[in-house]
Amino acid sequence: MPWLTETLAHHSEPIDPVLWDWISAEINHLLGISSGVMVVLLGALIMVLPMALLVMARRRF
Amino acid sequence: MTNRSSDLDDSRKKGAFYGWYIVAALFFASFLAIGLRHGFGVFVKTWEEDWGVTTAAISLAASIGVLCNGLSQPIGGWLADRYGGRPVLVFSLTVMALSTIAVSTVSSVFGLIILYGVLVSFAAGGVSHPAMAVVIARWFDRNRGAAMSILVAGGSVGGLVVVPFLSYALVEFGWRAAWVIIGLLALGFGVPLLLLIVRNKPSELGMQIDGEQHDESNRELPQSSAQYIGPDFVNKWHQALNSKPIWQLSFGYFVCGITTLAVAVHFVRWAVSEDITEATAALAFGALMFVNALGVLVVGVLSDRFQRKNLLGTVYLIRGLAFISLIVVPGDQAIWAFAVIGGMSWLATVPLTASLTADVYGVRNLGTLFGFANMSHQIGGAAAVLFFGWAFTRFGSYDIPFMVGALTLLAAGIVSLSIREKTHSVRYVQVIPEGTVGDESSLRDDR
Repeated sequence: MPWLTETLAHHSEPIDPVLWDWISAEINHLLGISSGVMVVLLGALIMVLPMALLVMARRRF
Repeated sequence: MTNRSSDLDDSRKKGAFYGWYIVAALFFASFLAIGLRHGFGVFVKTWEEDWGVTTAAISLAASIGVLCNGLSQPIGGWLADRYGGRPVLVFSLTVMALSTIAVSTVSSVFGLIILYGVLVSFAAGGVSHPAMAVVIARWFDRNRGAAMSILVAGGSVGGLVVVPFLSYALVEFGWRAAWVIIGLLALGFGVPLLLLIVRNKPSELGMQIDGEQHDESNRELPQSSAQYIGPDFVNKWHQALNSKPIWQLSFGYFVCGITTLAVAVHFVRWAVSEDITEATAALAFGALMFVNALGVLVVGVLSDRFQRKNLLGTVYLIRGLAFISLIVVPGDQAIWAFAVIGGMSWLATVPLTASLTADVYGVRNLGTLFGFANMSHQIGGAAAVLFFGWAFTRFGSYDIPFMVGALTLLAAGIVSLSIREKTHSVRYVQVIPEGTVGDESSLRDDR
């Protein structure tokens, strides 16, 4: 059953690794930012919401 | 009234209802949990090279993960019904974060199966939509659809942000550090946020559902529709199985699983078979994820103003059109048509199904019932993934599976439209139970 292993090779819930290769190549092509800067930018983006929310909730309640 | 509740009442008058803070906290938990699970795919090639194993071997861990996650969702929902959403969410995210950090120590597929396939994925079931829906449904009545849609959108945004974050962290620091970082983010920000912000129900803070005020002058009648019960409200979850709506909703969700998971898995192979360039496929997939986040928010807001079953049926029919476009429109245009039309409907079924389940059966067993609907979603998806693979190998094209997808969506649309919401939903048929007028708090929380 080669189709079964091929199917498993492209995961369902986790992003397909081949598709991710295509997407990351496109992001690099469009933005051209180094991976270090991207880590900092995206990391900051991830931390902004919880920090802002905690501050707002603390002020109001 | 205690000083604490008095303070809360004052502050509530000044600003947004506290329930929206809870929605924001759940948005972030969903953002992290789903983003992390999507991110697994980023590491596959690195593990293949590091451990000298095949993609299929690593895929086994992912497949076991999907199975464990599907099984754990009704369990997480049931626990949330029984003990409240907050402890289930906090415990599950803590276990998920610690297991994620532990993945960084793995050096074989077996370890990956145990830590990611079983532990991370099972714990993720407790941070999934059924457990979150239990909290939301107790805080929101009038804006339930909108609130549900925001937390669902959190998962989409998580995919858009966490996956690239992990990918760049992998390049910059290596895969072990990337797993430690994301685990620490969940432990350092996600868990405290849930602990400090989320409460099981409004009465824990001396509040009412939707932030309503008590009208002490008229205690003869319930203060809001949230204090009524519906004609099909059940005390035990299995009593719901004797009525039609749960089967209609679960059938639709089963089809939802068939049509979303199969496309997610077969997207690359379909694009290659249609000679679509990698750049076009990548951009179209990004567009699909963006439109999907937008679509779920719009549908959520609309669902609080119109009959939810009409929107649910329409969403399935729109997705059916997207499937037909994959057959009749040429490759390059088909992928964009699908990204826009299909994207609008991609996750829009989640807030509609969850809200309708709560409207029909009440909040008391929502986690369990919606958890089962989620399990049917995963079962449908797993079966469709295999069917699509078999059909492509047998016929050399995806036209037949896409046609099957379109037909099942037509059926799901008709079945959803046939739900008699005006007969079953508490939004349209309200019953005041005897002996509860004047003691509405219990109804508001647990109905």
